[in-house]
Amino acid sequence: MPLADALSFFPGLATCPAEPAEEAAALRSLAEWCCRYSPWTAPDGTDGVRIEITGSAHLWGGETALAADLAARLDRRQIAGRIAIADTLGAAWATARFAEGKSPIILPPGEIRAALAPLPVEALRLAPATTQGLRRVGLKRIGDLAAMPRDALASRFGEMVARRLDQAQGDLPEPLSPLGEAPTRRVRLSFAEPIADPADLLRATERLVEDLVPRLAQEGSGARRLDLGFHRVDGRVERIRLGTARPSRDPRHLTALFKERLDTIDPGLGIEDVILAAFAVEPLAAEQIGLTGHPVGNGANGIAPLLDRLGNRLGLDAVSRLEPRESHIPERASVHVPISVAPAKAGAQRQPALVLGSLDPSPDGRPLRAVPGIRGDDEIRPPRPIRLFEPPEPVEAFWLLPDDPPFRFAWRRRRHRVTRADGPERIAEEWWRPEGSGAADAIRDYYRVEDEEGRRFWLFRAGLHGGDQPPRWFVHGVFS
Amino acid sequence: MVEEKTRLPELRERIRRIERPTAAGHGVLPFGIAAIDRALPGGGLARGALHEILGMGGDEEDGAVAAAFAAGILGRLTTQESSAGDGTVLWCLPRPDLYGPGLAAHGLDPSRLVLVRAPRDAEILWAMEEGLRAPGIAAVVGEVGTLPAVASRRLQLAAERSGIAAFLLRRWRDGGQAARERNLPNAAVTRWRIAALPSQPPSIPSPAPTLTLPRLRGREWEGVGWGAGVGRARWRVELLRCRGGEPACWEVEKADATGHVSLPSALADRPAASVPAERFRRAS
Repeated sequence: MPLADALSFFPGLATCPAEPAEEAAALRSLAEWCCRYSPWTAPDGTDGVRIEITGSAHLWGGETALAADLAARLDRRQIAGRIAIADTLGAAWATARFAEGKSPIILPPGEIRAALAPLPVEALRLAPATTQGLRRVGLKRIGDLAAMPRDALASRFGEMVARRLDQAQGDLPEPLSPLGEAPTRRVRLSFAEPIADPADLLRATERLVEDLVPRLAQEGSGARRLDLGFHRVDGRVERIRLGTARPSRDPRHLTALFKERLDTIDPGLGIEDVILAAFAVEPLAAEQIGLTGHPVGNGANGIAPLLDRLGNRLGLDAVSRLEPRESHIPERASVHVPISVAPAKAGAQRQPALVLGSLDPSPDGRPLRAVPGIRGDDEIRPPRPIRLFEPPEPVEAFWLLPDDPPFRFAWRRRRHRVTRADGPERIAEEWWRPEGSGAADAIRDYYRVEDEEGRRFWLFRAGLHGGDQPPRWFVHGVFS
Repeated sequence: MVEEKTRLPELRERIRRIERPTAAGHGVLPFGIAAIDRALPGGGLARGALHEILGMGGDEEDGAVAAAFAAGILGRLTTQESSAGDGTVLWCLPRPDLYGPGLAAHGLDPSRLVLVRAPRDAEILWAMEEGLRAPGIAAVVGEVGTLPAVASRRLQLAAERSGIAAFLLRRWRDGGQAARERNLPNAAVTRWRIAALPSQPPSIPSPAPTLTLPRLRGREWEGVGWGAGVGRARWRVELLRCRGGEPACWEVEKADATGHVSLPSALADRPAASVPAERFRRAS
């Protein structure tokens, strides 16, 4: 009915504009709050929340107690709602909206068909056109529908009717896709009185971590991603998300990582639940610790706590290793690999990346260590700078002949006069890569130049002379 | 006489223990060149201490020569056969412009590095301090512009306690910051300044032809010419400040693939009577 008609019927009607975006956000935050009962929670349409409580009802003392707890909390937050618990999603939906009776309604297991039969056909989540069609032929209750043959229903009213009926009665499965990612392990701590003191929050965190670690140890795994959620009394959820470089189940380390971020939590009027969820659990073998409690043997394992601390404060992409790659393009020959990507096996021997003169391997097969005094063979391999700019910085260069290095160039507002130069070293694009092949800038001629002060630069000319575009000069790196 | 000679190191050790009772001597890393090792107390670069390395001229912005000097030292540190030789090197920097093959050319195996990128100096200093307290780290390097004296003192204390060598490379974004920060005192045990020098022309001329043009009248171009190829790169290494030593200055050839700097052959071949390196007092 349009608003004008409604106002004409009832002049004192209170109206307010609908705000669908805000309402959707509010519903989402309500669904997040309902995560305290079970992680399998999702908003349902525009006015409901569905919660899968199969594995978690016993933690609350049974379905009745859970429903009562939910009703009490909704009441405290002044949210009017109806609660229904049933074997299937469809039946719960139908019961919550259309059944008569005081909320919460709990359907005993196995009695769905009898409970659904008296409900109207609108309770099957069908389109309004379909329900109108059903009513016109006289099918007003779900019980009537259930009695009809399925193929007749499908041919007349479409697939959906039969499917919804089967889902509601439990003959077809209907999975629930949760709001966030489903965690592998979850531990919860609830408080009778809401807490707000940072010391109490820290103690709660420690308790939860100590609770989680034995479960991880039992299955021989460690967590890579952890999510600590603080549920406030006003319904908001504050989270701390943590990632580790290697799977970890060391309670001190994890507590220390959480403790660093604990001051970002705003408890508001109080926290009533704290939930620790572990995602991305990976196998982690037991480790031998020494007398001091640190793992025996440093190696990649020894610095993992340090890398976690650095990564969690600066971002897990900020901590990286340099790994060589097979490529003659300079910027692709050495890449930054974030530490969160699986590193090389801890037992692999470190092979030095440089060839040190002429060496015969020692009897046990490992390359010899560098002998002081022997000059390395930096003349054999083309020299590479110690600083490489990505992307290369353009310079203004002056040259005499087409194949010459520049005799003068200007870079970063400074002018440099070249006294010595080496080159050219031609590096062209890799022909097997589809992108960039055939571009005029694909061919680079690198020159190692030294200016009058003694600074040495790695310049290159991109593109060849004689093309339709003049070639451009860049500084790619600085030598020492 | 002989007694007095042997008593001198003993006395030094006693004085050091009185001055800093908690610091254990963590050993030194010698450069391998007698002239440099003589100027440093203990005969080498102290481990378990904070060292500061500056660049000069345009290198204050790029930090290439300073990084190469540090890479040479770290290369020698990590190839030593000791417990410190097995750890990782933590290198904290604001921009990811360190190049692996370039480090390898100076003796530092890039697979021993862990790079930490942080845009702010305070975060780099924090990361360095965390690294100095962790087990399994062989050395810590940080590239900072602003260095509060308090932070440098904390780094020095952390380095002393753990025996890990810490290096600060100073890189400044602009002249103003450089002018402000260059002369501020801090708690580093040694302070170095490395400048790139024109290289010695190679003994075998490169096949490229040399080209010179006469001076063009009225223009600023002089005898334009790029001569023979780039020879062995040279550095001027200045020890500006050293706790327990005197400032000095040397001209060396850059670190080779084993990380050792060496004296240029012309200077090294002089007879032993003359002093190969110039020493002069410099106000630090």
